[in-house]
Amino acid sequence: MAGSRISEQLPPLIDRNQSPLAFGQRALPRLAAELQNPELTVRQGALAALRDLIHDPERAYETIYHGCLERLKVLLKDEDSSIRTATTEVLYLLTAHSVGREAILREDVVGCLSELLDEPVDACRRNTHLVLKMMSGFPAGVACMVSLGLVPRLVMKVAAETEDIRELVLSTLGSCMRVDTQAAQAALASDVVTVLREQLTHSSTNIRREATAAMIAISVPPQGKVKVCEEEVLPVLVQLLSDEDLEIKANAAGTIMNTAVITKGKFQSLQAGALAPLLHLVECEHRAVCANALRALTCLAEVPRAREQLLQHLPLLQTRLNHPEPIIQRASATAIQVISWTP
Amino acid sequence: MASQRYNQAPNGAYVSSTRPRPASTRPKYKDPARSQPDPAELKKQQEARRTALARKRAKEQFRLLTPEAPEGRKHKDVQTELYLEELSDYPEDASVGCQTDAFLDRPATPLFIPAKSGKDVATQIEEGELFDFDTEVQPVLEVLIGKTVEQALLEVLEEEELASLRAQQRAFQELRNAEIVEVQRLEEQERRHREEKVRRLKQQREVLENERVIAEKIAARGFAQQYLADLLPSVYNTLRDQGYFYDPVQRDIETGFLPWLMAEVDSALEKQETALTMFDTLIYDVANSRQKT
Repeated sequence: MAGSRISEQLPPLIDRNQSPLAFGQRALPRLAAELQNPELTVRQGALAALRDLIHDPERAYETIYHGCLERLKVLLKDEDSSIRTATTEVLYLLTAHSVGREAILREDVVGCLSELLDEPVDACRRNTHLVLKMMSGFPAGVACMVSLGLVPRLVMKVAAETEDIRELVLSTLGSCMRVDTQAAQAALASDVVTVLREQLTHSSTNIRREATAAMIAISVPPQGKVKVCEEEVLPVLVQLLSDEDLEIKANAAGTIMNTAVITKGKFQSLQAGALAPLLHLVECEHRAVCANALRALTCLAEVPRAREQLLQHLPLLQTRLNHPEPIIQRASATAIQVISWTP
Repeated sequence: MASQRYNQAPNGAYVSSTRPRPASTRPKYKDPARSQPDPAELKKQQEARRTALARKRAKEQFRLLTPEAPEGRKHKDVQTELYLEELSDYPEDASVGCQTDAFLDRPATPLFIPAKSGKDVATQIEEGELFDFDTEVQPVLEVLIGKTVEQALLEVLEEEELASLRAQQRAFQELRNAEIVEVQRLEEQERRHREEKVRRLKQQREVLENERVIAEKIAARGFAQQYLADLLPSVYNTLRDQGYFYDPVQRDIETGFLPWLMAEVDSALEKQETALTMFDTLIYDVANSRQKT
């Protein structure tokens, strides 16, 4: 019979596919060595073990310290697709930690990943896009991606990919354009507005949400606004204002508010009949929806014709002044001020 | 496996070892349905087969032992014995049958109980003497459930962390959007106002310019009018002064008649003059000549 004291550790061989971990400090160097092993099963086992370890930030740091990223870069070009999928998954888990992200930037893993964008295996592509999505959350990552010329490629991939991957690509594009203006320029050069407009009418809610989020981001720089007016996206956006999902409504209102800053945008929005839905949205309880709708009305109220119509709805806006959120208070105050302005 | 050393299994696991034990001597289990005969029986069968084969071969050999008869001679079988004997390959045999009696039911052999010898000792493990299941299982369960729950908790924590990060990001995004739009709107407004101002100023300036030009034109016109008001009379006066307007008869008289008259008068006078001069000279001459004489 075994000893009477029961160990606090989990038993060593839970998952048969994982290679067993050495004790303490030897664990990661051994795994790093196993990653280079020419045997397929050994590499797979090492990757599976690494995947479970990397959730812990300490272990992630150790992984990077022992130079596993170099090996992972080599494995990205491996012939076996399961290895590539597992490697991309490990990289995705690494990006959850900031040390991982920095290391990925330092070792220029993004370049190797960009070659996997055309990968035939779905799971591998999905993981690649997940990594890119995480990397696009901060300025240095976006700068790296722009310098590698990934933004135009991603724009082209939007139409070509399957649904769930398309979501990821759209959200990556959205974050890129939000963070860095150069990315926005690059995207505008590759006709991103046209591509996004097609996605706005997609049947899946997630895709529409991501597309509208990207739209907001692209309508911030002035060229973007001009492009949005040119491509006649505003009627589609006005339609989306009546969509069921709250976030989509918020994003659509936000895009209208951004585009209505330029004169052409104002007139196009009024032509598309944006006033009535926006007024309806002001009463919504969701913070983003209400705030964006108020600001869109503010921008539109600079047109005299719209101002006349909005003067009738002033009481509605005044009810919003007492909202607990400071954003909404400010927005409604500005809106009332602009509407009541006389030359 | 009978004995194991400390070694590494192919998957890299360190397996424990057991104390070396001698191999057990119990006979191997054989499935009666598909059993092969004992090796001894097998050997016997093989021997029998081999002897039969040898006998056959010997017989054949024996048959070919006598050589063929040379030319002109012939072999003939001759009996050398007294009595005729029928030789044949097959020995005489007679069939005899025998049959055992049918099996009678035999009563079962009574259980052989050997005579009791030695001391009887019995032992019995009551419930609760070896171990108490409830207390023993507790630490095992604790570890199992604790580990599972801990793992689950870690995963949930991670997800929650991510979710709260996302929520924070979203709030920040909204704020940022707000500020950006405000800034842009005000910028745009400012730009529009500025442009409007510039345009109005330009317009104003143009209007002023126009007015000035018009005023100048009016002034110039007035001045010109005034200047040219007495142009006509002065022109006429000048012309008249310069003699452009003339009475033709008068002019004619002046230009034609009077010069002719003057010329005639002049010639007449000249004639007179010459005549007088001639008279003077005559008189002088006469006077001179008179004097001289």
